[in-house]
Amino acid sequence: MSDSQRIEVLMLGWEYPPHISGGLGTACEGLTTALAPLGVGIDFVVPHLYGGEHAPHMRLSSPDVSLRALDPLAWPSNYAGDLGTLAEDPASQPPAAVQQAAATVALTRIPAFLSPYMRPEEYAFLIKALEAGDDTALRELLGPTAPLFEPGAAASASDARPGLDRRGPHYGDDLFSEVMRYAERVAIWSRTHRPQVVHAHDWMAFPAATRVAHLHGIPMIAHVHSLEQDRSGAGANHTIVNIEGAGLRAATRVVAVSHYTARMINQLHGIPFENIDVVHNGAYTRKTVSAYREESQDDRPMVLFLGRITFQKGPDYFVEAAAKVLEQVPNARFVMAGNGDMLPRLQHRVHELGIAQAFEFPGFVRGTDVERLFSTADAYVMPSVSEPFGISALEAMSYETPVVLSRQSGASEILNHALKVDFWDVNRLAAQIVAILRYPELRTSIVDMAREEVRRVHWEAAAVKVKRAYQRVLGGN
Amino acid sequence: MPSVCFYFEVHQPYRVRNYDVFQIGRDHNYFDEKLNAEVMRKVARKCYLPTNAKMLELIERHQGRFKISYAITGVALEQMQLYAPEVVESFQKLAKTGCVEFVGETYYHSLSVLYDVSEFKEQVQMHAKLMKQLFGVTPTFFRNTELIYDDRIGREVAKLGYKGMIAEGADDILGWRSPNFVYKANGAPEGQDMALLLKNYRLSDDIAFRFSNRGWADFPLTADKFANWVHQVSGNGDTVNLFMDYETFGEHQWEETGIFQFLDYMPEAILRHPDWSFKTPSETVASYPWVAPMAFPRTVSWADAERDLTAWRGNEMQTRALERIFIIGERIKRRNNPALLALWRKLTTSDHFYYMCTKWFSDGDVHAYFSPYESPYEAFINYMNALTDLEDSVLQPARASGDDRQRNAAIS
Repeated sequence: MSDSQRIEVLMLGWEYPPHISGGLGTACEGLTTALAPLGVGIDFVVPHLYGGEHAPHMRLSSPDVSLRALDPLAWPSNYAGDLGTLAEDPASQPPAAVQQAAATVALTRIPAFLSPYMRPEEYAFLIKALEAGDDTALRELLGPTAPLFEPGAAASASDARPGLDRRGPHYGDDLFSEVMRYAERVAIWSRTHRPQVVHAHDWMAFPAATRVAHLHGIPMIAHVHSLEQDRSGAGANHTIVNIEGAGLRAATRVVAVSHYTARMINQLHGIPFENIDVVHNGAYTRKTVSAYREESQDDRPMVLFLGRITFQKGPDYFVEAAAKVLEQVPNARFVMAGNGDMLPRLQHRVHELGIAQAFEFPGFVRGTDVERLFSTADAYVMPSVSEPFGISALEAMSYETPVVLSRQSGASEILNHALKVDFWDVNRLAAQIVAILRYPELRTSIVDMAREEVRRVHWEAAAVKVKRAYQRVLGGN
Repeated sequence: MPSVCFYFEVHQPYRVRNYDVFQIGRDHNYFDEKLNAEVMRKVARKCYLPTNAKMLELIERHQGRFKISYAITGVALEQMQLYAPEVVESFQKLAKTGCVEFVGETYYHSLSVLYDVSEFKEQVQMHAKLMKQLFGVTPTFFRNTELIYDDRIGREVAKLGYKGMIAEGADDILGWRSPNFVYKANGAPEGQDMALLLKNYRLSDDIAFRFSNRGWADFPLTADKFANWVHQVSGNGDTVNLFMDYETFGEHQWEETGIFQFLDYMPEAILRHPDWSFKTPSETVASYPWVAPMAFPRTVSWADAERDLTAWRGNEMQTRALERIFIIGERIKRRNNPALLALWRKLTTSDHFYYMCTKWFSDGDVHAYFSPYESPYEAFINYMNALTDLEDSVLQPARASGDDRQRNAAIS
């Protein structure tokens, strides 16, 4: 097929900014924004929409039945300004962009529980907490600003406890039935559409994509942002591994976010390398938020960890390295932003090491808080045990913060202007952090070069490769 | 009657090892002995030994009509003596032929002339002494590290009594003029005129960089083709100055490229033209009067397209590291400890700063430069940590005396 021919794609995701639990939603936004100008028409479907999603470049939908137009004035403040995309004026609520988007975006009434990174046991716990009306438990898992509230209710209320929508037939009993229900609903929804390719992001969307591919007799692309193995290591859930493997085998082609991930896909699921395209993620370039730096009162150097506090992200290595850094730089402070199952253990560990006074655990952060942290950090550390890509490393670089990152990450394949370590090498990790804090010239040189590098790592390049994969499965070359 | 002047640079630095912050104050060994030994042995095997043997054979075959010159740094010779002593012997054999000139430079291949002129002079004198000791001659010709040169440097070298100096034939310096004549250093002190030989970088780079480049229109380069280009200078110049790293033979251009066959036949091809001969640098400036003074208002080197200093001090890491190493020189010397002084001087070698260069990274072309480190940042971190240890453990007045004794034990 020729390059100029339009391609209609049904893309299946699990989340879309601003309501995201990890890098997946951000990646989907970046990729689709760059694909649209290349003549790719996209129907992007997620299980739930919350409003505030801004996607004028494509048709963003949810297969749910209960859709209604949104009253922009009904937005609670925590919907504004996620991940900096809407952050020009964090004080306005809702920002203009949200108002504009709100007119075209539909909203469901289902609360935001499902995360592609959620453990099945976490899901079960959530359902229980929801049914019991236990907001504290929900907050603990989802973070203080997660969209628990049903927007209409929140706006109406001086109500001390904005109501959760517990009318409940919208969610299943467990994560897997939710995934399968999503597959069914997408299949039904897709009958009124004519996609040429179905493109699914991560395992939760694979069953839906497989159904759609069969139903329409069209090729399927399985896009892997992370594997169950990455997220859980030895504790991988077999059902998830099976769903993942079945989806990958059903796919016409597989897209992996790094060579690292391509190797894992090949090893774990036996997909031959010739069926895998490696498409590295891109990054957005941002204006440095220097105002945050100026307003910061604290002149102690700050080292940042930002991500889920789970096995995959190696937060324990961060803590152990911090203890060693403090031997050399006693006034350093360490911010660990994020939630996850390892958080209590690590909070305990910093007490045990006697370094609790140097640590802050702000929990899950979003929007302007993310900007402030990245902007004021003297070093960003990503010690992931297994990281398919690690888009936050690019994000930190775009805020002109030098990065120390794990060699066991997809991002380290494409980044030159960062310090790289093996995640298990705590000494080395600490040594590199100390070097950044101690030698300002090192920081300046890294930041100067990283600024250029982030500009080169853009979504346009990723989109071109993805389009090539579409053309390939559609019988071109 | 024109001639060809061959000059080869022979150098190996003492590479700093992976020295992290936790070793400061605990370990005073900064250099990667294992790597340095490996590199020296490898380059000896691939380049120094076979090329020296070939040069000796060519000198004998052409019965004194083939002549060459070398600058061999003190740090390279030290490491040859340590790890490949047969290389030193093969250079000594070449010295005895009378067809080889040994050119002076700084013993440590340092950037000292840019920061500390008296240290520069000391390193130059050390090198001259070593040449006399190993090869029986005191150099009268000079080359500065990486051909770094400007009018001020020319003046300093002329004051040391050198008769001539080697520099880059940079386009912006030459303008319409040709590198194929002898020039005079601009502004040398009264009565201490000094000749300048400027590198013909096109013909030099044809061998050094393009020889095995299959994308090059003139690939493959044969000795006849090359000799023909040299002969075209006839009537239009006195000398063709071919200056390059000695590692061109067998290391940068592998044996498999045919570089040794090229070398084997090239003198014969050039000498086939009855007007042409080979001359050492000293013979060249003695044979042809200089045509004009050549001003170098900016500092020129032989590196990269820019021919400037940015490969060694183009970013803040490099500037900082250079300032810091030279600023402690005086305090090091006051300690009156020869082992400590030698240690400090090994850290003045230009390669340490070259490894910190980031400019080749800007287009994502990581492979365009050679470095033992994963990145310029690692090079900087190792170097600065070593320097911090040197300052902390040696130069802190309060603890100095005891530490000095300890250090003597550690590094001698």
